Amino acid sequence: MELKLQLRKQQGSFLLELELNVCGERIGIFGPSGSGKSTLVNLLAGLTRPDSGSILLNGQPLFDSSTGANVATEQRRIAMVFQRHALFPHLSVRKNLQYGYQRCPTKERRIDLAEVAELLEITDLMGQMPDTLSGGQSQRVALGRAILASPRLLLMDEPLSALDDDLRYRIIPYLNLVSERFKIPFVFISHSLVEMRLMADQVAVLEKGRLTGVVSPEQLARQRMGQSPAGYINLLEMGVPKERQGLLAFPWAGGELLLSGNAETESGLFELSSKDIILCKRHPDAISARNLLPCTVRSLFEAGSKIGVELDCKGGTLVAEIVPDAARELEVTVGSIIWAAIKASAFRRL
Amino acid sequence: MQFAPADIQAILLSAKVGVVATLVALPLGFLAAWLLAFGRFKGKLLLELLFNLPLTLPPVVVGYLLLLLLGSQGVLGKLLDTLGIKIIFTWKAAVIASVVVGFPLLVRSIRLAMEGIDLHLLQAARSLGAGRLDVIVTVILPLSRRGILAGSSLFFARSLGEFGATIIIAGNMPGVTQTLPLAIYDYASSPAGESTALLLCLVSVLFSMGILLLHELILQRKKGA
Amino acid sequence: MQMINRIIVTTVLALFLAVPALAGEISLSVAASLRESVTELSDLFQKRTPGVSFKKNFGASGALAKQIESGAPVDLFFAANNEWVDYLIKKKLADEKSVGVFAYNQLVVAGKPGVKIARMQDLVALNRIAIGSPKSVPAGEYAMAAFKKSGIDKQVEKKLVLAKDVRECLLYADRGEVDAAFVYKTDALLLSKHAKILYVVPENLHDRVTYPMVLTVAGSKKPEAVAFIKFLASAEAKAVLAKHGFEVR
Repeated sequence: MELKLQLRKQQGSFLLELELNVCGERIGIFGPSGSGKSTLVNLLAGLTRPDSGSILLNGQPLFDSSTGANVATEQRRIAMVFQRHALFPHLSVRKNLQYGYQRCPTKERRIDLAEVAELLEITDLMGQMPDTLSGGQSQRVALGRAILASPRLLLMDEPLSALDDDLRYRIIPYLNLVSERFKIPFVFISHSLVEMRLMADQVAVLEKGRLTGVVSPEQLARQRMGQSPAGYINLLEMGVPKERQGLLAFPWAGGELLLSGNAETESGLFELSSKDIILCKRHPDAISARNLLPCTVRSLFEAGSKIGVELDCKGGTLVAEIVPDAARELEVTVGSIIWAAIKASAFRRL
Repeated sequence: MQFAPADIQAILLSAKVGVVATLVALPLGFLAAWLLAFGRFKGKLLLELLFNLPLTLPPVVVGYLLLLLLGSQGVLGKLLDTLGIKIIFTWKAAVIASVVVGFPLLVRSIRLAMEGIDLHLLQAARSLGAGRLDVIVTVILPLSRRGILAGSSLFFARSLGEFGATIIIAGNMPGVTQTLPLAIYDYASSPAGESTALLLCLVSVLFSMGILLLHELILQRKKGA
Repeated sequence: MQMINRIIVTTVLALFLAVPALAGEISLSVAASLRESVTELSDLFQKRTPGVSFKKNFGASGALAKQIESGAPVDLFFAANNEWVDYLIKKKLADEKSVGVFAYNQLVVAGKPGVKIARMQDLVALNRIAIGSPKSVPAGEYAMAAFKKSGIDKQVEKKLVLAKDVRECLLYADRGEVDAAFVYKTDALLLSKHAKILYVVPENLHDRVTYPMVLTVAGSKKPEAVAFIKFLASAEAKAVLAKHGFEVR
């Protein structure tokens, strides 16, 4: 998908003015509240009209103030998913799913109901009414409804924000799967750096109505490390654990990590904050942290008032954050060996 | 105590005028409510004031203004005359009087229901390929059902009691335009008519209570559902 | 201090005493068609008699009778037929001894200039006919009697527009909202160019249009009310009535 935007929109005292040129299948839009994310989405969907500018999707103009072109929302074939499911309360799940499908020109229909229902695991919910569904079920149905319209683009406004943490990370695979299987690109808004890392190819960063850059999710996470209260979240893919001395040893990268004994004994994705990694110049003696990993410093970067240290540990990557003072004291340089000390309780399953 | 044939006619006429007025007012009221709930255009405030005006004006004033408009000397009246259509002093005038006087009640109720609809629902429908009319029929209409029913029953009840505007443009014509309130007024002006007037009043009260009960039931049921 | 107090007390007492002085007010309830004539006569009497003022209420005879029955403070009642005066006398609200005939009138049909009415039967061809509501307006009762006597009552049934008094009938005729309206000859004098007298209703079709006047029980106790009703029977009063088009014999 290729998206070319040049927009200007004044709403009261707020001005959105930006120029965006992206190519990709999964674009994230990131920014604090009030930065213009929702305005941008509404402009893309055609729900609001820009004061001036143009919107080109795969070369086709959806809006162009110079030619007066303005494709109506219902003809843009850009399906939307919202923070709160917005399922039609007076229609059953089946009827909701069919809504976009029925309005899609027959020759453009590429996706069928049974396939989507199976993929999203909502086949059993067909006859139910939306008010009987749980949060996760509703969002999956909302996603299914949007997909079944065979849209050219899926536009999502904070689709996971209203869900509980564990639910959120279980829906993400569905989103990626659906996008891949049916070849539908998506653009989504989120304020979560982790969601960006798990879903987006590229991220457009907005601030006060302006575009401050288009970066990779990884770059974004690192840039924001200093500002974010949770630091940089390391995402670690671990295998099935074995029990060892009251702890659980999870295989990770070239080695293993020790987690608290009460963790679930399943493989999966885990979070580790950059703030929870303590660096030592020498192998620490008699320390309570159960994970002591020898790492090589791959790179250093500035993140606000902190220094980010990218470490290579037996093939896996960890990012730790330390104050500049500590960096100087430990003489941290690219290529130097440093020990990472991590408590068994610092990990969190995603 | 017995009813004269003219009295039965008055009751039936009131019912007929009420039903027809409700059927006429519904599409108009729906459109007006839609304009006020979702429209964004210059002069919306003026339209809002206009639609609400009959609510605050004394019905006789409404009647007199309608007479000026539709009477044989009126702008619209003269035009209709050339087409051979007579409005004043026919049951059609009684319907018009009820429609105008009760309109604000209907619009208010429907509009309230419409404004309670989550905007995201409408946006989602549009993004799924539904045009404006499609959205009105498949989303807005079903979701404002409660407001429509509640508004209709209130409107019908108001129409049963309509007097001021009715007597001016429809006149007091037994068997033709003499609705229940007009019949009661006729009897009440005469010392000999006390008992019949009271009886008709009772009928009127029962009628109204029935409608209001229905109205309450509708509101309760939808809320529970 | 004493002086000021005395002035205040005297003023207040004078005000209170001044109120009964307004008791020289005579309250009239008058049939609608007598509006202009009674107004002229009461003005005349007021000029002649110092300390006398009038409060006037116009409407349909039946409605007025109902008001008196409900306790309205009326001294003199002028009806457009005997029925309503008899009604009040029976209810012991009017003084039988004071009954007099004020005037007589004629029932006519007024309407649009182009409409031709040579006899009662011609009314059947019309669309809408205004009459006073027979339940409370004498003019309407006379009209109904005329319909019945000429045998057209069933045929005109659905054409009738009931008015609350004879003046409203006149208004309907004047505005052209009806094809014909039953009013009194005296009312027709007030018509504009939009309507005129089309037909004089033969007097044998209804009781003679009589305007009885009577003192209420309350009015019979007021000397100025008694004086006024005496004045209305005088030759001078009759001359005024004749001027307005009423028959006095």
